[in-house]
Order: sequence, then structure tokens, then C-alpha cells
Amino acid sequence: MDFVLTQLSGFGSAFYSLVADPLTYAYLIISVFLGITFGALPGLTATLAVTILTGFFGNKIPLDYSLIALLGAYVGAIYGGSYPSILLNIPGTAASAATAMDGYPLAKQGRGGEALGLTTTASFIGTLIGTIALLVFVWVLLLLSKNIASPEKALLALFGILLSGTLMSEDLVVKGWIAGLIGLAMAMVGLDPLLSEPRYTFGWSYMLSGFQVVPVLMGAFAVPQIIEGMRHMEVGKVAQVKGRIVPNFNSVRRYLPTITRSGVIGTGVGALPGVGEDVAGWVSYGVGKTVSKEGDKFGKGSVEGLLSSETANNACIGGALIPLLVLGIPGSPPAAALMGAFKINNIIPGPTIDPDIILRVVAIMLLASCTMFIMGLLTARVFMRILRIPPVVFLPIVMVLTTIGSFSVGGGINDLYLMLGVGFVAYFMNLLKFPIAPLVIGVILGGLFDETFRRSLLISGGDILVFASRPVASILLLLNIALIMSQFPFVKRASSRVFRKAA
Amino acid sequence: MQHETTSDELAVLRARDFWGALVLMALSVCLLWRTFDIPLWGGNRAGVASASWYNSAAIVPLGIFSALLLLSFVLLFIAIKAGGAKRAFSAVGIGWNSTEALRFTTIGVILFCYVAGLVPRVDFIACSGLLVTALVFGFYQGRVERMILAAFIVALAGAYAFIAHLPQAEWGVHDDDVVTLVLWAVLTVWVMINAKGDRVLRLVPVLAVVAPLILVCAMAFGFRQNVPNRGGIIFSQIEYHYYVTLRPLWRS
Repeated sequence: MDFVLTQLSGFGSAFYSLVADPLTYAYLIISVFLGITFGALPGLTATLAVTILTGFFGNKIPLDYSLIALLGAYVGAIYGGSYPSILLNIPGTAASAATAMDGYPLAKQGRGGEALGLTTTASFIGTLIGTIALLVFVWVLLLLSKNIASPEKALLALFGILLSGTLMSEDLVVKGWIAGLIGLAMAMVGLDPLLSEPRYTFGWSYMLSGFQVVPVLMGAFAVPQIIEGMRHMEVGKVAQVKGRIVPNFNSVRRYLPTITRSGVIGTGVGALPGVGEDVAGWVSYGVGKTVSKEGDKFGKGSVEGLLSSETANNACIGGALIPLLVLGIPGSPPAAALMGAFKINNIIPGPTIDPDIILRVVAIMLLASCTMFIMGLLTARVFMRILRIPPVVFLPIVMVLTTIGSFSVGGGINDLYLMLGVGFVAYFMNLLKFPIAPLVIGVILGGLFDETFRRSLLISGGDILVFASRPVASILLLLNIALIMSQFPFVKRASSRVFRKAA
Repeated sequence: MQHETTSDELAVLRARDFWGALVLMALSVCLLWRTFDIPLWGGNRAGVASASWYNSAAIVPLGIFSALLLLSFVLLFIAIKAGGAKRAFSAVGIGWNSTEALRFTTIGVILFCYVAGLVPRVDFIACSGLLVTALVFGFYQGRVERMILAAFIVALAGAYAFIAHLPQAEWGVHDDDVVTLVLWAVLTVWVMINAKGDRVLRLVPVLAVVAPLILVCAMAFGFRQNVPNRGGIIFSQIEYHYYVTLRPLWRS
């Protein structure tokens, strides 16, 4: 009980210190606005919003403001993706792809205002559910994580990369794993963490410090987006929004069970390492279609369908921060960009993180979700106008933003070369339908995996069984093996036979 | 994740996977070979005796590149099984689209010349203004001749800066700034001639000046961070007047 009270009072003081600071509001309003704008513009993603703002705010202002800017943009961008999904039938972000299934039919039925209002409310409640889960579970997991040593960390990092590769693959799972391995390989460049042995530096002194996270993120997420988006595109006709946007209280109450269920699903999916908001949206949409009484109306303009995906993708944010803060393993691609921001501020997320930072993150999430809710209801028509800007106009400015952001993080011109190189590689990977998220997760977790894997072997004198010597390590090892085995054709066939019999 | 791929698209994808797998295999073999430069079975590095295999800095990279090689074989096998190898040697098979190739090439040239040639050597406002003008004008209506013209102008500016001032010691010289400014002005005039009442094209010059100007000033004076080419012909003047003319106004 004392522990809970201590945490609550810690959260209260963190919240008060933020609320009492006028600059907090300035950063909140600007970042949430920028986030919604990024989300609303098709072609720009939540990951890109957080990545670009990391270049600008990452290490240039005090950490609190930096976190406000990045989390505000994260929350805003995931929500902002719903605008083009509902009004143009084009998902603003991958996270809102499922939203378009019911959002656009609703707008065509003349219920666009209602859809936007309910989406805003559902996103707000979803973010709150994720934030509450973050506050509760992060402490439970932090207590448990004190017992996690090098073998568990290595296996967890590997599990994060494998899971991200498995779930984020649009085509073959093997492509997701290859992307993860390329990311891991990129993390091997530079001096190794235990013996300072130079690896793959090719005599270039810049490479000794390894690939910097921010230019890699900018290259992986911004450059392919710019290349892909620079094409002639007629901006579709924005659906007319009739009726009021502020939702009816009775409607919200009616859909509260759906919102709550989707919030829990979104948080759970977000907590899985390396799995993003798009997966959360689809999983929740799928579950909603199965359990809902109006499941047959999903895809034809069902409010439940709309709320299932839209609540889950926002709830995913809080969930994605749990593994990031507790284990140093990002729960989603935008969380990977946040990890980059932590790194350039010399903060190492994981069991040793300062508990004050966690409380501040929770307080900022709460404030960001309130700002998003108010801004979404009051300024929706401003964002509808933004939808009319063609991508060819704003993407060149994104390139300038990316260049100056990447340059100013620290590495200078060499970082720009790295950004461009990674960008071209990522573009071709996109073309071949290799997912980019596992690559970035691999780059971020590569150093941790290398260090902890070798440290485990060093401590055990080269005994490979160290990875099965402790209960948590054994479970993680089994999970890794199961995940790999699950993709073998004979295992797939056997499991589908078992499921068919059970059904 | 929900996605829909037609059988034609899938066949093209497998043909591309065939080439992708071969590239990955070549890369894995190359890097595996480089990995053997790192001591694996002993030696003394950085004052630490690495007598055992598990001490070696090569152990994790070896695992990564071996796994990459193995997965590349799996991808190659899947591609061949799906008929990718048969289609891989024809332009239709790999889904070659000359318009798309031209679009990518022109964007690639513009981005490469901007990052590798212009940003390190030329004033950031001038080169970013040229970039914004070239990209919007070149790709706004998807016209091939505009894409080529835009890429040619940026390539000209980039090539001049790169060739005339390759070593870092010469990056402060201003003749490439002037060349870039002239080319930017020429392109802007061409854009305005072609604008003919098009609101987007008429907006380009404003956008090309305002966006880089605000960004570079925010970064340099707001966040007090380093910006590319501080000594550039325009930015050096802005910086001078900020510190000498403007700042004393509120400092005093």
C-alpha cells in the first residue's frame, strides 16, 4: 500500500510541476498540432513525426520539454491518421488503415461529423487506457526486471527483433527476419562494446563510433516516404462533414464496452516488443468483428468497427512505452524513434532508468491526450483543410527538415551521407516488401544483444547452456524457438490440423 | 496485417525476390569474409587476451551473417519455387516500368546532388530553395520533361560544387553559392512562366524561400545548434546582422 501511495504522490508531483509550468502548454499545443498535421497528411507517418521532431527537439531543450514535444507528436499523429481515413478513404498512417474500412462509408452516409467526434473521443479514452496500463504495469515489470540479467536481456532483444519481423511482414515472414538481421548487422559497425575491437570500419574514422540512431531513423522512414510520395496525385474529394463533431454523451456511453475492449487489446498488442499501432488496429478490428452483434456490418459503415481500430491504435502508445521504459526494447516503430531521443539525451531506458522519468512520461501522456481531445473537437475543420495540400508540396519541405535535423544531431555531414544511404536501401526494401520496422528495431537493439550475449558467454566460460539455466531465460529461449519453428511448413500444417480438430 | 496482392503482383514480387536473394547472398558472403579479419580464436586486443572463442568480437557478427546467408537461401528457394527465376530475366517479369524508373532516377539524382554536393558546400538556404523549387516543379503534375529539367538543374549545381570544391578545405568558397543562386533564379523564372494561373506553382517561390529560411534560423538562433555551411553567402549575412544589428536591440 505504501508503495502505491508513494507512486501516486510521485505522479501527482510530476503532474503538478508540468501543469504549473506555462511552457508545458506551448510545447503541448505545438507538438500535438504538428502530430495531428503529420498524421492527417497522407504520406507522412507517426514514426516520421517523432523521428523528425527528435532531430529538432531531441537534445536541444531540457528533457521534460523534449519528451512533451515527442510524446505530444506521437499521440497527435496516431489520432490524426483518422482524418484522411474517414474523409478521403486514404489512411493517413498505417495505424489508421482499419479505420478507413468503416470511417469512409460513414462519411458517405452523411455521418462524417459523428464519426470524427466519436473517433476523437475513442482515441482519447484509448490513450488514457494505455497510459493507466503504463502507470500500473511498468512498476510491476520494473520490480520483476531487477532479476533480469544478461542472458534474459539477450534473448529478449532477439525475441523483439523476431516478433517484429514476424508481425510486421506484409509478404513473407522470412523478409521480416532478414530486415531484422540487416538492422543487427548495421549495429555491429564500429568499436565492439566489450573489447573495443574495430568492426567493419573500412579505415573510416567516422565509422568507429558506429551508425548513429537518428540519421538511420531519418533515412529509414523519411527518405523512402519522400521518394514514394513525389508523384502526381489528384487529392481526392474530401467527404462533406455534416452535423456536429462534439459527440453525444449517450452514444459514447453506448459504445463504451467496445472502446474499453479495444483499449485493452491495443495496450496488450503495444506491449509486445516491436509491434506497432497498425497491428493493434487490425487485431482489435478482427476481434470486434468476431464478438460484435453488428459484426456483419463491419466494413459497411459500422461505428463499432470504426471505434475498434481507432481506440486500439491510440491505446497501443501506452502499451508500446512499457517495454521501452522497463526493458529498453521499443514496443513500436515510433517508440523506436523515442528510444533514439532517449539515447541522444544519454538516458538508457531499462531496469536502471530513473523512476522520475517514468512518472513524467505518464503525466505527459495524460496531458497530451487531453490536448489532443480538445484540439480534435475544436479545430477539426482546420485539419480538414490541411487534407487538401498535395504531398508534392509538403514532401520537399520534409526533406529540408530531415536534412537539417539529421545534421544538427551531432555527426555533421557524414550523418547526412549515412541518412541518404540508408534511405535508398530502405526504398528498395520497401519495393521488395521487406518491412522497415524490424530493421530499425535491429539497429537499436543490436548493441544490447551483442553486449549481453557475449557477456553471458563470458560469465559462463563459454557454456551455451547459460541461456537455459534460469527460469525466465528458459521461457524466453522457448519463445524464441517456438516463434522460429512456427514458420516451418510442417509445423504450420500440424498446428492447422490441431486447430481444425479442436474446432 | 491486412493486404491484398494479386497473383500478377505476387509473380513480379517473386522475380524481384530472386534478385534480392542473390544480392543478399553476395553481401552476406562478403561480410562473412570481412568478419574473419576480426580475431576469433585468440590474440591480444586492447590489452585484453581474447584466448577463447566466446571472448571474440567476431562471434555475434558471424552468427548474424551466417543467419542472413541461410535466410537468403530460403528466400531464393521460395522465389524459384514460385517461378521467380523464370521471370527474373525479362523486363516484364520483374515489373519494369520505365516511367517509374525515370521518376526514381530523377528524384535519386536530385537527393544525391543535394546531400552529397550542395549541402556541405553551398549556402543552406540557397540549396534548399533550389531543392524545393526543383521537386515541386518537377513532380507536381508528373510531366517527364519537367522531372528531367529539374534533375538536370540540381545536378548541374551539385556537380559544379562537387567538382570545383571537392576537398573540405575549399567548402567555404562562395562561387558555388553564386552558381546555385543563379540556377535557382533561372528555374524560378521558368516555373513562373509555366505557372499560368496554377495556384500551387505560383506558391513555389514563396515556399522555397520561407521554409528553409525559417528552419535554418530556428535551428541556429532558436535552438542554438550547428547548421550546415554557416559561412554560406546568405546565412553568413543573416548571422552577422542577427548578432551585430538585431541582438543588441534587446540585449541593451
